[in-house]
Amino acid sequence: MNAVLANARWELLRLLRSRRIFLLVIPVIAGPIGSALAFFYFGKMEPNGAVLTHGTALMLGLFVTGGLAGMVMLDLSALSAGEDLARRSHVIAFALPQSRSSVLLGRLLVVFGATLGVFSVGALGVWPIAGAIVPALPSDPHPLYDATHLFLAMLSLLFFLGAVTLNASIITKSSSEALVAGVLAGVVTAAAAFYFTYLHQISLLFPEVLLVVGAVALGWSFLRFERLES
Amino acid sequence: MIFLSSHPPHVPSGEAFSLEKVSKDYGSLHALSEVTFSVRQGEAVGYLGPNGAGKTTTLKLLSGLTRPTSGTLRLDGVEPTKDRRRALSSVGVLVETPGVLPYVRGRDLLEHIAEVKGVPLNERGAAVLHATKTLDVAEPSERLLGSLSTGLLRRVLLAGALIGDPKVLVLDEPTMGLDPAARNDLRNILRGLKKEGRTIFLSTHLLEDVEEVCERVLFLRAGRLMGEAPVSPDGQAPSSVGPRTLLVRTSDTTARERVGRAAGPEVGIEESEPGTEFLLTFRGDERRQSELLRALIAGGVPVSRAQPVGSDLSSLYMQKVGREEAT
Repeated sequence: MNAVLANARWELLRLLRSRRIFLLVIPVIAGPIGSALAFFYFGKMEPNGAVLTHGTALMLGLFVTGGLAGMVMLDLSALSAGEDLARRSHVIAFALPQSRSSVLLGRLLVVFGATLGVFSVGALGVWPIAGAIVPALPSDPHPLYDATHLFLAMLSLLFFLGAVTLNASIITKSSSEALVAGVLAGVVTAAAAFYFTYLHQISLLFPEVLLVVGAVALGWSFLRFERLES
Repeated sequence: MIFLSSHPPHVPSGEAFSLEKVSKDYGSLHALSEVTFSVRQGEAVGYLGPNGAGKTTTLKLLSGLTRPTSGTLRLDGVEPTKDRRRALSSVGVLVETPGVLPYVRGRDLLEHIAEVKGVPLNERGAAVLHATKTLDVAEPSERLLGSLSTGLLRRVLLAGALIGDPKVLVLDEPTMGLDPAARNDLRNILRGLKKEGRTIFLSTHLLEDVEEVCERVLFLRAGRLMGEAPVSPDGQAPSSVGPRTLLVRTSDTTARERVGRAAGPEVGIEESEPGTEFLLTFRGDERRQSELLRALIAGGVPVSRAQPVGSDLSSLYMQKVGREEAT
């Protein structure tokens, strides 16, 4: 447990020293602000603002905030192990009296915890802003996605993207290649989500599958990391 | 100025680490083949061999960076594959030149190492300061790692290996990239650490490192241990008091049996080139050497070349490992 905490502190210090910690501000600030701008823009497209309902505004806000958090997740998870492996600085950590799982777990606690945390904070900011700019009306049609479900699905998606990117970084020993893999995973997931939505077959099963695949990728990452030959 | 540690000396006893028939394969490449040796606590041992001999692989095994394909490796009696944390708790490691995160200060890294090694929070600062002062890098360790020269970086990393008061230091080319003065300083530091009773296992290409720091040297070639030799306490050369070695070359590839018969049972025979080149080890002076040569010729061995092999480290290296790699 001490080794996990030591590595969590080390990851936090890396984020601070590399200034990557400022990335975490983006979903919190830019998510709600970007959403507000979108609400104003789409709200003015029709004289009565009918293009954007309250439910659709929430969806839009969650997509904006989730997209920004996704980019942060890709970056931080690719670098959490990939940077060390690419630079060969993992040799220092691996020769210390600690399990490699502790190294990875400590780092991921910070990366996943921080990214999912800032997405949640940013997403929670979307609700009051949407309420203020695009109030809910009794005549509003039912939105495509339930906002609460979408929020949970976004958390699953972020977890999935982080796990896949981490896995790719351990396989390729390169953060840049892992980033590409993460972006591709995101594109494929978005395409699949669009396809099932088009068929009206999207359900909570989709984020659940993402969660399971993410968990498998994460477990595999731990196994590979533990057995990496230096 | 170099500040040597004020730690009380350990009382050397027992085995610091051992390898028993340890092999390591990377796919079809046999990096190590059934290597067996042990190092006593408090001993300073050099590990010499050409590039690709398996030195770094051995050090990676000792530092838990990789696992043996077969065989048993014990650190302080504990197998790292079974209890990694306990096995590595007594070892300070500097393997290769690890990459570093350029945006991190040296002190940050050393404090992290101290934390992982279990140094209590209230002693962490002192432990880092002690290690950095020992390596004379107290000031540079406050700078970003990316701004340090190769030599300073190696010393900061070596300071990391010293944190936690390890009983065993496993060092891979510690003086590589250092200027002559810094190299000399580092050798002094290593000698000081040896006097404190720490076990030092030093892999290097530089014979001077071994001569000045170590008391025993192991030779490795193509993943196989080729032998060992003592290094005299004055740190200049292996003991010259002992057996002489004569290199004998013959054009007859079937002469092995005749060489053995002519030399007699008290002469050790090792084939340095199969069938054509022999190293004859015997006790005695130059007269005994001449007698041996005469006996060989009388015994029907067509000697095309006979040359005494020196007993200094460089000659031993060439004899055991190969001439092209000696530096």
